[in-house]
Amino acid sequence: MRYSYYPGCSSEATAKANAHSIEGVAKALDVQLEEIPDWNCCGATVASGVVGDFTQLVVTARNLAIAEAKGQDVVTGCSSCYMTLAVANKKFKEDEHFRTMANEALSAAGMQYNGTLQVRQFLDVIYNDVGLEKVAQKVKKPLKGLTVAGYVGCQTVRALPYEFDDPEQPVFMDRLIEALGATPADFPLRARCCGSSSTIPARDIVLDLGYKLFESASSGGAQVMVTPCPMCQLNLDAYQKLVNRKYGTSFNIPVLFFTQLMAVAFGLSPEAQALKYNIVSPHGALLQFAK
Amino acid sequence: MEQKNVFSEPVKYDLTFAREIFRLENGSYIKQCMNCGMCAISCATRDVMDYSPRQLFNLIKLGKKEEVLTSNTFWSCTSCCTCKARCPRGIPIIDVMHDLKKYAIDHGYTNYPQAAFYKAFWNEMSVRGRMFEGGMTARYFLIRGLDEILKAMDMKDVGIDMLKHGRMPLLPPKKIRGLGGLKKIISKAQELDRKEAR
Repeated sequence: MRYSYYPGCSSEATAKANAHSIEGVAKALDVQLEEIPDWNCCGATVASGVVGDFTQLVVTARNLAIAEAKGQDVVTGCSSCYMTLAVANKKFKEDEHFRTMANEALSAAGMQYNGTLQVRQFLDVIYNDVGLEKVAQKVKKPLKGLTVAGYVGCQTVRALPYEFDDPEQPVFMDRLIEALGATPADFPLRARCCGSSSTIPARDIVLDLGYKLFESASSGGAQVMVTPCPMCQLNLDAYQKLVNRKYGTSFNIPVLFFTQLMAVAFGLSPEAQALKYNIVSPHGALLQFAK
Repeated sequence: MEQKNVFSEPVKYDLTFAREIFRLENGSYIKQCMNCGMCAISCATRDVMDYSPRQLFNLIKLGKKEEVLTSNTFWSCTSCCTCKARCPRGIPIIDVMHDLKKYAIDHGYTNYPQAAFYKAFWNEMSVRGRMFEGGMTARYFLIRGLDEILKAMDMKDVGIDMLKHGRMPLLPPKKIRGLGGLKKIISKAQELDRKEAR
């Protein structure tokens, strides 16, 4: 299985753990990820608020135009990148007027995109292309006795509703957690918002939403949370301390990328598990499984 | 004797503002809103919003320009897509919110910290084609000034944690090789966008 890979900017900074664990897990599952050469920032859901949807989608599409030469589907491990790439891709496929206009803009740099690729979230690739049977076969250290809240977040399932999982009560993550030998926590807020990029301009939004998520996860018995999204991981991991300070709580829930948990269950190297990047220490909860 | 049957003044609808908003990329969808309130009950940040999306759309239709542009509603939207997924009229509400953010910035309504954040984000990403979070944060605080830095002092713990765990590089990533091309694409796209809006 070969894909073009779009790492996204967070892979070089706040979400290195995502990049390292995706790399390790992909290798273990014989998934070839070839980085799109000279990829650019997708603009997340922020750029369009300054330059408008059209410009943002064209900027995003530059990556698809580069990837199209190889003809391989594009995979990304970031929910926000997934959303912008997938929405742009859908527009190229379905909206002829948009495609003509967007290609006129891309041609300013001698590029064009014909909409021939698919954009996929890595979680979707694991579930639908690799399959959970193969995942289960790779498990060396079944995560028996570990209760995990599968936090899917917003954009992974709602960028294009129903295209790869239910937009409000997704099940992929819980099935994956089971395949690793762990128990999915009862976690009704699994697809609610974490506050996204409000951390800097309106921190209380993130703290209030984070509190609700921790409350829901911990009353479901969760020992750790896993997510496919760098923004969710950052908000829940780095700001957990401030949530506790604001609400007088004592949540101590490690928040991992789901690929980190896979790396642990597969018994991969510490580099692939990338646990040193976690701020709320996962070592206690994972003591018996991690190296 | 006091007269009880006083008729209020008829509401004067000034459609100039509404028409301008309807012409934005996703603006015409606002006309489809039937005021059911699904967006309001779905919204993750409704608690902090001045008006729910439904109410905001009504204000737009009524021509209440100042109320709309000085509200925090669109700035509080996190693009979580719950309303967009649920809206029975198929309104891409988060995309309308993006349009309103752009419109507010273009027309000088930039008092909310989010406006500074959005501008900082775009400026940072267009300098090298990739996002450098350190640079974006610095730009944000430059726009917002010392007050905001003092308010954010309890963030220093977060910063220290991030540094300790190797998640906050102090140097930006390299510029992408195709930066010149990317800039040409951006200016062409904006030119086409302006033409389309006309």
